[in-house]
Amino acid sequence: MKVKIISIPVLDQEAALQFYTEKLGFLKKVDVPLSEHSRWLTVVSKEDQDGPEILLEPAPNHFEPAKVYQRALFEAGIPYTQFNSNNVQQDYDRLVALGVTFSVKPTEMGTVKIAVFNDTCGNNIQLVEML
Amino acid sequence: MTYYLTQITRIKETCYANQAQLDTVISTRHYIDHHYDKELNLDLLSHVRFTSKFHLLRLFKKYYGQTPGQYLTDKRIEKAKELLDGGRSVTQTCYDIGFESPSSFCTLFKHRVGITPVAFQKRAIFTKSA
Repeated sequence: MKVKIISIPVLDQEAALQFYTEKLGFLKKVDVPLSEHSRWLTVVSKEDQDGPEILLEPAPNHFEPAKVYQRALFEAGIPYTQFNSNNVQQDYDRLVALGVTFSVKPTEMGTVKIAVFNDTCGNNIQLVEML
Repeated sequence: MTYYLTQITRIKETCYANQAQLDTVISTRHYIDHHYDKELNLDLLSHVRFTSKFHLLRLFKKYYGQTPGQYLTDKRIEKAKELLDGGRSVTQTCYDIGFESPSSFCTLFKHRVGITPVAFQKRAIFTKSA
């Protein structure tokens, strides 16, 4: 078995696609219409286009417990998932300039540096740099 | 302060209070990052940090969750992928990442990546031309 896809629940797939591509710099990989209001929509890292895909899934809009879970994580400030960064401070500066808001500014945590931002789709996402 | 911030503050205070130990493992990791193409072993790494090799082994595993040897292998495989993707020959890649034997390099690469270095390089070329 291989890890090929990780899912991130999003409240609005189109808004999520814009945020993950235009702000974060990911590339759209697969976009398949499934119904009037949902798509199989994945993005990949520009530096690792054959690597794991992120599935931007609209679960919170179709399954109430998913919405409750997502909201509870968000309100507690807990990241839904995390992305690796070569330089958290540089990514923080770049994203802040693009209007992205952070609940945790770049902070050293032992052997890593972390920062947490709002993906505007219902999730906190953590950036991690290994020190 | 959010629940998450409270928790990471607590973890930082309880798990990462010893800055000297952190400095040791972080500088060891950086040394590996900059010398992965050389012959590296625990004796050398501990000598660089003026510490006992078993102490260094324990610290590195404690903070990074893997041994320096495991980390070095990960680093070499990651660099091998970059070099092969850039068109470097398999044999040259083998030597450039610190391996002495192409056959042991190919065996390890296949074990870790799932395909041989040659197949990996062919796939990279195919993907670029697609």
